[in-house]
Amino acid sequence: MTQKRLGTALKAVALTSSLAVSTFSFASTLTVSSPQDPGSWDPIDTFLVNWASVATNIYDGLTYRGPDLMLEPGLAIAWEELDNGKRIRFRLREEVVFHNGEPFNADSVKFTFDRLMGEEGRKGPQRSNYAAIERVEIIDDYTVDFHLNAADPVLLTKLAGYGAMIVPPQYIAEKGEEYFNAHPVGTGPFKLVSYQPKVGVKLEGFARHWGGAPKLSNLNYRFISEPSTAVAELQAGRVDMVIPPTIPIGMIPTIEGDQTLEIATSVSPTVYALRFNTRSGITADERVRKAMIYGVDRQAIIDSILGGQAAPIASFQSELSFGNDPEMKPLPYDPNKAQQLLKQAGVAPGSKIQIDIRGDNATFNEVAQAVASYLQLIGLNAIIKPYETNVLLNDIIPAGKTGAMFQQAWGGWTLDYDNTAYFMYHSGEKWNPYDSDAELDQMLESQRGLTDRSQREQILKSIANYTADRALELPLYNVNAIYGISKRVKNFTPVPDSRLRLSDVTVD
Amino acid sequence: MSAVVSVMNFSRFKNLEFILGAVLTGGICLLVLLSDLLFPGAADRIDLSARLLAPFASPEHLFGTDPLGRDVLARVVAGGQISLQVGLVSVAGAVVVGVIMGLVSGYYRGFWDMVVMRFADVQLAMPFILLAITFIAIVGGGLSNMIILLIISQWVQYARLVRGSVLALRDREFIQSAQAIGVSDFNILFRHLLPNLVGPVIVLMTLNVANNILLESSLTFLGLGVDPLTPSWGGMLADGRTYLQNAWWVSVFPGLAILLTVLGLNLLGDWLRDTLDPTGRTSR
Repeated sequence: MTQKRLGTALKAVALTSSLAVSTFSFASTLTVSSPQDPGSWDPIDTFLVNWASVATNIYDGLTYRGPDLMLEPGLAIAWEELDNGKRIRFRLREEVVFHNGEPFNADSVKFTFDRLMGEEGRKGPQRSNYAAIERVEIIDDYTVDFHLNAADPVLLTKLAGYGAMIVPPQYIAEKGEEYFNAHPVGTGPFKLVSYQPKVGVKLEGFARHWGGAPKLSNLNYRFISEPSTAVAELQAGRVDMVIPPTIPIGMIPTIEGDQTLEIATSVSPTVYALRFNTRSGITADERVRKAMIYGVDRQAIIDSILGGQAAPIASFQSELSFGNDPEMKPLPYDPNKAQQLLKQAGVAPGSKIQIDIRGDNATFNEVAQAVASYLQLIGLNAIIKPYETNVLLNDIIPAGKTGAMFQQAWGGWTLDYDNTAYFMYHSGEKWNPYDSDAELDQMLESQRGLTDRSQREQILKSIANYTADRALELPLYNVNAIYGISKRVKNFTPVPDSRLRLSDVTVD
Repeated sequence: MSAVVSVMNFSRFKNLEFILGAVLTGGICLLVLLSDLLFPGAADRIDLSARLLAPFASPEHLFGTDPLGRDVLARVVAGGQISLQVGLVSVAGAVVVGVIMGLVSGYYRGFWDMVVMRFADVQLAMPFILLAITFIAIVGGGLSNMIILLIISQWVQYARLVRGSVLALRDREFIQSAQAIGVSDFNILFRHLLPNLVGPVIVLMTLNVANNILLESSLTFLGLGVDPLTPSWGGMLADGRTYLQNAWWVSVFPGLAILLTVLGLNLLGDWLRDTLDPTGRTSR
């Protein structure tokens, strides 16, 4: 009798606890470790990928590009190109609201782009990306026309991210620009709960999102810049996901060795190269540059140091990039040829060259050391000079004060070679301190403004071939985006460009 | 009786301290000096097919290999060259500058004392990393610049320590009597004052050698130090950090090398202080 009663009591306990479990899993929380606090959540203030890995959940753009990299309707449900690509008409989604309850309509679109192209946008780095937009015209409440001063073939992609995120006009007018930086409001699937600078940001699901409420009820980000700390937190279960760029290749075995964790990777647009000083020193000679490319076994570096998480590249772009020529093959590893070329160029054995790198990237540091040792084998005496990242990027490279070679990494979320090539090779650009080539300039300019995709692709491909012929850089590899995730995270697709949207993700 | 025993034990311990300190420091210095003979070229030889081999598995790589397939043992031994050089030379430099400054300002006081000590105050108020970044931004990185930087940042400690002792000693009878019989200032400073304050200086030195080996590592880590191709204990520690969980030997062996060197230097320093301290001799 008592036993039976006990049994019933136990059953009741079990029942309530299972109820508790189910409500708990309904109130599900995902914690993500991100390496960087962007400081401001305003879309026009930033170009950091780790801004996008949070803000893609807060904001929507007119277009949307997900993990499959195909453009889909976002806040615009349809669009058509008019006047030879100089005008684009967008039909807007109806019954969309911002997190503060403000309705989304043509006014919000016009406000967003007037702001981006106006005084406020001038303060940030995003404006120049959208320079093709002349003005936005409201046709009716849910139709807008974008008037362009020149056709921009990449514009629809650019509208899916960063500076083109739609912001709420009334909210910004009421609260002010300053307040908006730390209290962002958008139409996205998650809304901001709290933001603690340098510590983290907490989001919660927005039930009135036009795509339906997200499956997670809470989404927390913590800013952890030190890879070992982030991985330790992942192992301890205090974060569920570590997003790129955090995990060094060397830590992958650690995560794979842990039964509760796994590595998810995706091809990414991020490419690495060692670029040459083409103006002075021995690398001003094309033969020397080619010799250095022949002399470094890039495949061996990829297979060993990068653990196969990278692919060789023939030009400074990934296979995802529009303008990549799959016919192009990287120069093979051929140390004999390298030595011959050096001899032809009259380079004395033991000549010194300096490789400038960023001091903060453990994996690249190893790659640079391997490159230096390969160069040693063909008779060049390489030394490595690490710089603090900001010093290298803002002072040494733009001022042309590098050694014979310097590290360059490039992401390019628009996946268009123009976005890379123009900045790297056009005379007078910040990232092109040494070279000036009229023919290359002409090619780079000619493809801008072409709306004919195949013609443009042809020109971009010939630019890629041209730069490889002149050996303007030592193309190293295209590295994967590496996510460390806990196995309790379900339904997650790693994205190539750090622009994570986590509305379909669930946790056990 | 028991007091005698404890004194005997104590002195035996002192001997042990000396022996251990001398063996550790001497052994490590010897290995480091002979590194080019013992492992010719092995420290730089990259072999991507032999990455992260475990230690004690093959006689070729007794301490295993690092992520680039270089022999860890050879690198630890060769890395000592940089680390010891930075540690010893910078401390020696700082001691020479600091002790002279301290003696002069403590003994003569007045104007020079004020100049030196206010300068010291200003410098002590400046964070080391700020000083390091500014210095290296102006004159550039590298081994010799790093040593100069460490001297600049550390002479102050010695100067203050020495000045304090000199102020306490200069009015004592033995100094006054030396002055009275006309001993030159130079002789008073270096023959009468210096031996009396050498103890604390040596203790500080031994601590600073260790500290500077670690500073070298953080500077190298920040990219302000030596070329990453040149092995140094600090650089190896930093490089091995990402591999700590699956290849502990990459960072543990250089870490052990630092530990043993610092331990040896501290033991020697303790022993030296007790031996050199003129008052200590009488009290024992």
